[in-house]
Amino acid sequence: MSGGVDSSVAAALLVEQGYDVVAATMKLFCYGDSVPDRPCCSLDSITDARLVAHKLGIPHYVLNFEDRFGRDVIANFVSEYASGRTPIPCVRCNSFTKFRDFLYHADALDCAYIATGHYAIARDGALFRGRDPRKDQSYFLWGIDRAVVARMLTPVGELTKPETRAAARKLGLVTAEKAESVEICFVPDDDYVSVLERHLPAEAPALNPGPLVTAAGAVVGEHAGFARYTIGQRRGLPGGFREPMYVVAIRPDTREVVIGPGDQLFGHTVTLAEVNWLADPLAPGDSVLIQCRYRAAAVPGRVRELGTETIALDLAQPVRAITPGQSGALYDGDGRLLGGGVII
Amino acid sequence: MYLDHAATTPVRPEVLEAMLPYLTAQAFGNPSSAHRFGRAARAGLEQARREVAHAVGAEPNQVIFTSGGTEADNLGIVGAALAARDRGGAMCAVVSAIEHKAILAAAHAVCHLGGREVLLPVDREGRVDLDALDEALRLKPAVVSVMWVNNEVGVVQPVAEIAGRCREAGVAYHTDAVQAFGKVPMNLATVACTLATISGHKIGAPKGIGALVVRDRHAVEAIIHGGGQQFGIRPGTENVPGIVGLGAAAALAAREQAAFAATVAALRDELERRLLAVVPDAVINAAHGRRAPHVTSVSIPGTDSEALLMHLDLAGIACSSGSACSTGAVEPSHVLTAMGVARELGVAALRFSFGKENTLEDVQATVAALPKIVEKVRALSAVLHR
Repeated sequence: MSGGVDSSVAAALLVEQGYDVVAATMKLFCYGDSVPDRPCCSLDSITDARLVAHKLGIPHYVLNFEDRFGRDVIANFVSEYASGRTPIPCVRCNSFTKFRDFLYHADALDCAYIATGHYAIARDGALFRGRDPRKDQSYFLWGIDRAVVARMLTPVGELTKPETRAAARKLGLVTAEKAESVEICFVPDDDYVSVLERHLPAEAPALNPGPLVTAAGAVVGEHAGFARYTIGQRRGLPGGFREPMYVVAIRPDTREVVIGPGDQLFGHTVTLAEVNWLADPLAPGDSVLIQCRYRAAAVPGRVRELGTETIALDLAQPVRAITPGQSGALYDGDGRLLGGGVII
Repeated sequence: MYLDHAATTPVRPEVLEAMLPYLTAQAFGNPSSAHRFGRAARAGLEQARREVAHAVGAEPNQVIFTSGGTEADNLGIVGAALAARDRGGAMCAVVSAIEHKAILAAAHAVCHLGGREVLLPVDREGRVDLDALDEALRLKPAVVSVMWVNNEVGVVQPVAEIAGRCREAGVAYHTDAVQAFGKVPMNLATVACTLATISGHKIGAPKGIGALVVRDRHAVEAIIHGGGQQFGIRPGTENVPGIVGLGAAAALAAREQAAFAATVAALRDELERRLLAVVPDAVINAAHGRRAPHVTSVSIPGTDSEALLMHLDLAGIACSSGSACSTGAVEPSHVLTAMGVARELGVAALRFSFGKENTLEDVQATVAALPKIVEKVRALSAVLHR
């Protein structure tokens, strides 16, 4: 339970359905780093989770994963940006923390299932998109162990966000009207660069000036550090071109940020690394739907090549801003999440 | 099954009964008021002062009521530092390394006020280093604070000896007696301390009431300011119901101390004996030191306190890790660290603390639940900490 409305309602629904529920909040990082004098123990979200659990009459514990989350998620977040990619820490958190480390605790407690407030639907060992297309979070779940899916409960996956809030109101949960959290939990004020600045040495190439170039190789300016950019970004680029310019590539080796007009952003192929399957693996020639960004539409594609941990796909239609570090989530026509990988 | 009495205790029925008139129409008055309502409250307040004084071997006018142990500790340390500054003395607080956070943080506050703090080390059994004390006394500090009984491991300090050395050096001595009062014989007539802290909720009075025994008015200066109540040392309208509750609980605690100690020591010893039989590699912290009868700290190798506490709670057993952070601190307790306990054992400590309502059945049930829990948590820790 994060202390938000989704996991609060998830817990409430399970209690209602007669499950024997143990609530836990994962303490993943310490705000003390960025907000000195603020003890993490009094974090409002933990208090909210406690109040909800108390109201539901279920025990609640705080599990400390700071060390492991720091290693598996935050360190990876930093190194990905340092390598010119745009990571999604939520994917790593699901793969390594929520549905692995957390599961160890569940195992030790002989818990048959682990439940979360994800907008996704786990059914018969398969994982599907959540019912609310605007909230669907299955995109972030491709990396979890396939065996875990059979033990997942996703009570709010069948609800729309308004329905979840209505349920929370009906149950009188303190979290009912809580604002949506859209930030990365360990990045205060959406300022990810300040996180990088805290973790990387001052002389790190990712945070220091480099050339701004066109695809043709012309140097058109200087940027303040390639980690401040992501593919498809327009903000912060110099003006004076005939058409709007976007970041189309980042080359960490030369510190170059490549800019170009919008048409250069479209790609016809995607290659994924760290591939994980939540269904039987696809084979070359198979058709599949691939989603390359959260909330983007999935497009049809075909498997071109399959390695042990990589997959290359040809897309039936060009996709804008295919960004290394983001996820490629693979679905079938019924919205079943088949697996995915990290875009390279 | 509640085995966490060092954290807090339920209010005793006799105490609640004594308090009720002071919460309601009968004697709700402000003890500073001149009318009958005020007089009724004042009578209860002064009676309680006498009870507390009598229970600890002090004079009634030496008892200053506070909002609890933490405030009393702060008054003792910061108040003594401020008083020393007024006298032109050193704003220096000398405290043992295993003090409660209230003392450690107050000593730290003295630094922030421009003074300094000196930490006295302890040995492996948690006993404060008396040579280090002698050395610190040469600094002519404002105050020395060494707790009577440690809240995590139960070690009893040689308070009479420490008090004597401080007196000889002309230095105020404060002792945090929160875990001593009612547990070990406590008679300030034989311990020449200047200041002593007690707390209500550890002895069956409610939370939010405590007292600092101030045997030398010049030793402390007020740290909060107001209407002059309690000799100006701790102004503010007195918490009369709480004070009456503390008076009643203090009288009971003093009267029952010897019997209480015998009862809980037997339970504690039995728990340790049986626990070591089923978890042979468990380590009783400060086992060879002089300990108060109601507390035991046990480290279970290969586990961590956070998971143990969760599993024990789900099995219906309430105890604590002894460390301060309520939301799962990963750091070992500063007490065990100061005693030189290895980190692996420091993060794997459980504190069981007994109260008057505990029985041998509680011990049996706890020990019966432990082996399976230890086995599961060991497996978990092995995975999570590799």
